[in-house]
Amino acid sequence: MTPLLAVDNLHLWYDAGGGRVVRAVDNVSFALEKKGEAIGIVGESGSGKSSLALALMRMPPKNVARFDGSVRLAGQELTTLSDDQFRREIRWRRIAMVFQGAMSALNPVLRVGEQIAEPLLLDHRYDKPAAGARVRDLLERVGLPADFASRYPHELSGGQRQRVGIATALALDPDVLILDEPTSALDVSVQAQILNLLKDLKDAPGISMLFITHDIGLASDLCDRIAVAYAGEHMELGPAERVLVTPHHPYSQLLLASLPRLHSDVPPRPMPGDPPDLSALPKGCRFRPRCPYAFDACREHPPAIPLPDAGHARCWLNDRNVAGARFETHLPTEARLD
Amino acid sequence: MALPSATLAPDAAATAALVALDDVSMVFRTNKGLFRSGQVTAVGDVSLHIARGETLALVGESGSGKTTVGRISIRLLEPTGGRVWFDGQDISHMPEERLGWLRKRAAIVFQDPFSSLNPYMTVSELIAEPLVIAGVRRRAEREERVRAALTAVDLTPAARFMHAYPTAMSGGQRQRVGIARALIREPEFIVADEPVSMVDASSRVEILNVLRGLQRERGVAFLYITHDIASARHFADRIAVMHLGAIVESGTARQVIDHPIHPYTRALIAAVPEPDPANRFRRRAAERWQDEPGAAIHLECPHGGSPTAETFLLQVPGEAGHLVACHVAAPLAR
Ligand SMILES: Nc1ncnc2c1ncn2[C@@H]1O[C@H](COP(=O)(O)OP(=O)(O)OP(=O)(O)O)[C@@H](O)[C@H]1O
Ligand SMILES: Nc1ncnc2c1ncn2[C@@H]1O[C@H](COP(=O)(O)OP(=O)(O)OP(=O)(O)O)[C@@H](O)[C@H]1O
Ligand code: SF4
Ligand SMILES: [Mg+2]
Ligand SMILES: [Mg+2]
Repeated sequence: MTPLLAVDNLHLWYDAGGGRVVRAVDNVSFALEKKGEAIGIVGESGSGKSSLALALMRMPPKNVARFDGSVRLAGQELTTLSDDQFRREIRWRRIAMVFQGAMSALNPVLRVGEQIAEPLLLDHRYDKPAAGARVRDLLERVGLPADFASRYPHELSGGQRQRVGIATALALDPDVLILDEPTSALDVSVQAQILNLLKDLKDAPGISMLFITHDIGLASDLCDRIAVAYAGEHMELGPAERVLVTPHHPYSQLLLASLPRLHSDVPPRPMPGDPPDLSALPKGCRFRPRCPYAFDACREHPPAIPLPDAGHARCWLNDRNVAGARFETHLPTEARLD
Repeated sequence: MALPSATLAPDAAATAALVALDDVSMVFRTNKGLFRSGQVTAVGDVSLHIARGETLALVGESGSGKTTVGRISIRLLEPTGGRVWFDGQDISHMPEERLGWLRKRAAIVFQDPFSSLNPYMTVSELIAEPLVIAGVRRRAEREERVRAALTAVDLTPAARFMHAYPTAMSGGQRQRVGIARALIREPEFIVADEPVSMVDASSRVEILNVLRGLQRERGVAFLYITHDIASARHFADRIAVMHLGAIVESGTARQVIDHPIHPYTRALIAAVPEPDPANRFRRRAAERWQDEPGAAIHLECPHGGSPTAETFLLQVPGEAGHLVACHVAAPLAR
C-alpha cells in the first residue's frame, strides 16, 4: 500500500556564515503509513525537529545551504511541484502545521474568528457567511464555545490559545497535521486536555500527525511510532512500545533514563556530555563523544540499520557482524527487561 | 477508620522550622477598569514549614498560588493575613529596611533563564551583582566567591565561563548561572520557582542534581515550586499539593504520589504522561477541569461535602505527616 506521507533522504542545511554549514536535517527518512497514525519526533533542543517541520511545509529560512530529498503524499512527489503549486494545492490544504510558540504568536489585534478564517479565505469555496459557519464548527471541534470567535487572544488562557492554533490548522481539512511543541508551555492538566483533543482528531476524522516534542513521555501518550532525533539525524525509529521498552540506540536509552519517573524511586540519570555543535560535527558516529558504549567501529559513520519491526537504529551495536559480543550485552531485549 | 472531628495543625514541627507559614493569606486588589476594582484571593490560609536542609516541593496547576507563597516566604511580598517566621523571627510585616539580614540568608531562582539574566553582563558580573549591592568592595574577594559559586553549580573550569555572555550559553547552563547568582551570598534557604520548566527535558536532571547537592553538602533548605510532580518525587523530601490557593494534601512522595487521598491530587497524578507502554492512549481525567483563566475549579467531594463548607486539615491515620484537606471531618480511608 502507498504510504500517506513518505519522506526519503531529506536534507535541510543552513549557511551559518564564515563557511559554517549547519546540518539541521540530515538524510532523514520515515513514512506515515496510514490515516490516523501519529509519529512522535523527540530529541533535545537544537536536534533539528523544527527544521524538519519547516522542510515539510516548504518554508525554509533564507540562508539555505542544501534542501533536497523526496517527499511523497499519497504517492505524489511534492518536491518537483513549483512553489506556486505547492502553495495552492498542498500547504494548509493537505499538510498543515501548528508552529512552536503559536500560543504567543496569535495576532493580538485580530479576533479569534478572524484568525481561524484566514486560511479559509484562501479557498474560493468559502464566502463570508460560509467561513463564519466553518469557524463555529472548528471552534466546537477543538472544544471551545462558538462565541469565542469574537474574543481577542489576550482574553484566552494558554491552553485555549493553543486550541485556536489547532483550529486554524484544521481549517482546510488537512490529511497531515504537524504539531511543534504544542503543549510545552502548558501545565499538566491543560496539557492533558490538548492531548485528549489530539487523540480524538486521530480517531475521527483520522488525521495523521507528526508530533514534535523534547518530552518522550508526552510523545508516548499519543504516538504510534517514535523517531529519536539527534544532531540532525533520526537515530532510532520504531513502534512506541518497542522504543520505550527496548530502545536500540544508546541515545534513546539515556534519554529515557534521564526522565524522573512518577512511580519509581530509581533516580533519573543526567545525560552525559554536552549537546553537539551542528556546524562542527564529530567524525564517525555523531553521538560518539557522549556514548558510554563507543568502540572502534564508531569512528565510521553508522548507517540506519534496519530493525525487524520496520524501524531502524543508526548505531553499530545493531550490526551483529560489526559489534560482535557487544550486540548481546548492550542492547536490551524484551526478555531481559522483565 | 474513624477520626475525631478536629482540625490538626502541624504546630510542633513548625516551631523548630527554618521557615514557617501560619495561616497565610494573600488578597490582591485588581483594577478592572477606571471605576471598578476587584479582589483576587490568590492564597487562603496556607500553613507550611521547612526544616534546615529540607526540600519541600510545592506542586499544583497554573494559578494555584505557588509563586505567591514562594514570594511571601522570603518577604518579597507582604501577606494580607497570617504570619511568616524565619529562624524564629516574625517577618510577616517587618519593614523592608529591617530585612537586610533576610536578603543575605534567603534567595530566589526564577523560572526563565532567558529573560532573567541581563544579556549585556558577563557571567562573572551577573553572579557578583548581589555582592556589589551588598557592599562587598574588594574585587579579589568577589572574584574568589564567583569562582566558588561557579564550581558549586558545575560550570567548570570556572575561568572558561566567567567572561562568557549568557546569550552564548545553553538553557541549562544559563539556569545554572541563575542558581550561582542565588548562591553567592551563601543563603540557608532558596525558593526555586519552576527552575527547570524552560529547560530541555534531558537537561533537567542535571540542574536538579546541582540543587540536591547544595542541600546535602551545604544544608541549604529549598522550596521547590513546580507543576512536574514526577520531579518532586526525586528532588524533594516532602510534597505539598496546592489547589485554588490552598494546600489540599501534603506528605512524603510515597504518601502523596503512591497513596493520594484528595481528589485533586489523584487527578493531578492521573494527568502525568509517563513514558510507559501501559499508560498510553488513555484519556486523562483532565476534561472535568475548566481552563477559563481564573475560573474556580470544584471537584466533587467523595464524602459528599459541599464545596463551600469549611475545610478541615486531617491527619491520615497511621501515616505521620500525611495531611489531607477535607470538607467532612470524618472517615479518611486509604
Ligand atoms: N536560519 C538558521 N540559520 C542557521 N542555523 C539555524 C537556523 N535555524 C536554526 N538553526 C540551527 O539549526 C539547528 C536545529 O534547529 P531547530 O530549530 O530545528 O531545532 P529544534 O530541535 O527544533 O530545537 P528546539 O527543541 O530548541 O526547538 C540548531 O542548532 C539551530 O541553532
Ligand atoms: N500582583 C497580582 N495582582 C493580582 N493578581 C495576582 C497577582 N499576582 C498573582 N495574582 C493572581 O493570583 C493567583 C495565583 O498566582 P500565582 O502566580 O501565585 O500562581 P502559580 O501557582 O505560581 O501559577 P503558575 O504555575 O502559572 O506560575 C492567580 O490567579 C494570579 O492571577
Ligand atoms: S555507533 Fe558507537 S558511538 Fe554511536 S551510538 Fe552506537 S555505540 Fe555509541
Ligand atoms: Mg524547535
Ligand atoms: Mg508561578
